[in-house]
Amino acid sequence: MTKSDLKAPEPKRVKEWKLPSGVLSAALSEDGEKILCGCLDGVYLVDMEKSEISKLYAHDSYVSSVEWLSDRTLVSAGYDGRIIWFDMQEAQEIRSEKAHQFWSWDLAISNDRSILASVTGQYLAGGYRYEPAAESEPSIRVYEAQEGQLLHKLPHVPSVQAVAISPDGKSVAAGNLMGEIRIYDLETGNIQYQWTTKDFTSWGIIKSHSYLGGIFSMRYTPDGDSLLLAGMGPMRDPMAGNGRQLWQKWDLATDEPKLVDQTHEGESGEGLMEALAVDPDASFFVMGGRLRGGDWNAAFFDLNQGHRLATLKTGFRITDTRFYNSGGTLLVAGATGQGKPKKDKSFSAFGRIELYETAPQDS
Amino acid sequence: MSKRGCGSPEHLIHRRLFLEGTMAGASASAASFSGQFSIPAFAKTTQRAAKKCILLWLCGAPSQFETWDPKPGVETGGPFGSIPTSLPGVHISSLMPQCAGIMDKLAVIRSMSTKPSEHFQGIDALTRGDTPRPPFTRPILGSVISQQLGQIDSPVPQFVLLDPCPEGNEFKSFKAGNWAGWLGAEYGPVRAGGDYSIPNLDRLDSISDLDHEDRETLRQFLSRKFENDQRSDAAGALNASFQRVRGLMSCAPLFDLNQLPEEDRNRYGRGAFSQHVLQARHLIENGSTFVMVANGMPWDNHVYQHEMHQMLVPELDNVLFQLVTDLDQRGLLEDTLVIAMGEFGRTPWLNEARGRDHYPNAWSLAMAGGGVDGGVVNG
Repeated sequence: MTKSDLKAPEPKRVKEWKLPSGVLSAALSEDGEKILCGCLDGVYLVDMEKSEISKLYAHDSYVSSVEWLSDRTLVSAGYDGRIIWFDMQEAQEIRSEKAHQFWSWDLAISNDRSILASVTGQYLAGGYRYEPAAESEPSIRVYEAQEGQLLHKLPHVPSVQAVAISPDGKSVAAGNLMGEIRIYDLETGNIQYQWTTKDFTSWGIIKSHSYLGGIFSMRYTPDGDSLLLAGMGPMRDPMAGNGRQLWQKWDLATDEPKLVDQTHEGESGEGLMEALAVDPDASFFVMGGRLRGGDWNAAFFDLNQGHRLATLKTGFRITDTRFYNSGGTLLVAGATGQGKPKKDKSFSAFGRIELYETAPQDS
Repeated sequence: MSKRGCGSPEHLIHRRLFLEGTMAGASASAASFSGQFSIPAFAKTTQRAAKKCILLWLCGAPSQFETWDPKPGVETGGPFGSIPTSLPGVHISSLMPQCAGIMDKLAVIRSMSTKPSEHFQGIDALTRGDTPRPPFTRPILGSVISQQLGQIDSPVPQFVLLDPCPEGNEFKSFKAGNWAGWLGAEYGPVRAGGDYSIPNLDRLDSISDLDHEDRETLRQFLSRKFENDQRSDAAGALNASFQRVRGLMSCAPLFDLNQLPEEDRNRYGRGAFSQHVLQARHLIENGSTFVMVANGMPWDNHVYQHEMHQMLVPELDNVLFQLVTDLDQRGLLEDTLVIAMGEFGRTPWLNEARGRDHYPNAWSLAMAGGGVDGGVVNG
């Protein structure tokens, strides 16, 4: 299965929870005892010690991102365009900021939890071939994370669906529907890099002459020298969902960003990949999403050589994944289909959270 | 003077008058095709009196939740909110702010319930009025309307299908007989838009206008004679086809998007669907009876439901607003029925691929004009 020098991890599921609504984002607390979940209908807390799931609060639409700011405060962003700071001990909202007129597609926080960035943008027809119209509001907003002070309003082309902050907290990268990546210097607000990869975007040959897809997740490598992107390869029918499960690695240590690796031939199935997580020890990364064709919807890859190391088939669409415990623990979040209502008109719980032990070892 | 057919004076043709009529037609501008008719007053009356229809065929089937029947806050409601409209107490999707302002002109049916749950069968039932009845083929709505209400012998096609993205929707494989069924192929649509340009509409440079007309008059005379003498249906159908081509040649500018006013093109939006809705208005203004605008099958969002509807619904919102407003301001709305519909709705529940699947049990459509009362929401 692998030509990598790394010993393949053997991920083992150790815990799982079902949440009432689909989970779009999840974050484990520093003590490893609580999981924040951004769901379609609000922010939930999974208390592992008490085996309790409780709803903390709601946005006016889906919750797209959640992050811990400290052991008692959290921040969330939603499809209502709002960013909410919340005090868990007081069980009350600290601050609410209407960051965007449209959705917050994604929110990223710096490693030291001092800066956060949120991205937005509605795809509207701008031309005969449905080229995206120009933005009507700044697509990237950067805030001081604790107090919520706005630091930058940065331009991009809608829809901007993924964002990442560099490990040193000095740059923010954002990727859009059309596969365009912009990296801005967070001290000056000046653009550092701007390039486009066309490998994640579909223009429909059949069914729909419009664009679909784009970059759905991005993460810096721990050294900050490379940027990983995830999504799905182009499709003839943009609504088939059968594009190649695709990641790309771009080298930023040169004058111009350079594609250095991507999903290896024969190592992918079909389906949209929405989640990336990089092992803090810089050995491997995980990409997860939906299984449309093939036999996995999450896989471990060698960060340096790109080989696929291990796979998971979770049985649900993965929307977020993160490493903890120096890469020894993998958090996976997602959703199954909502399913038809039951006789009492309620729906089965369709949100999913799983924890895996990984324990990779160098050979 | 030539004598043809049964010898009735009605069938006599005066070549000079004939040529005057067709040449007048050929010189008419794209902006006004009343010149197609020899008596302008009659042309105007004909255009205004006849009932017409523009069908915005939302192929693939849009979600009722993200259009006319939002359910924000419920488990299946989706991420978009709702907004109030000009009708007190009535809310529609927040993606449709422009239509919200003209709800007094719209009739929205939220209680559509049909049986077929697959596209082809759904389209068949909705556009032909019933399930198939082999071996007969029921005529499609546009064929029936153009046959019943169309202007006889108009050079402007009476049934036009504008479909800028034909690849992938259910109409691509239709032959003429599939459209018009038992009414006969002459009631099938003239198809245009996108990749479907209409070829060979320009007269060859090597033939003068006069030569062209001479040839056509002679061809018509001989083939009519053959048709009548031999009682040949085939010759009749061929004559009908020639007439259609002649009509198309004379009104070719109507099918040229680039000849539409730039201000209108910007107002409608630059996407292919929007541009062809504008073209539909233009065709209706100039003599067509039924224009159907499709655009592939973009509404079939089994995956990426919200990512696609964020773009498709605002486009629909704008073109419907512009179209209804334009027709109203031009005094054409009373006689022109505008319908925006797909073949069914989408499931309330989301599937694993963040999409909504087919749902014929309860869905929505909207209409305006053509004598239909506005300001009505049913269901």
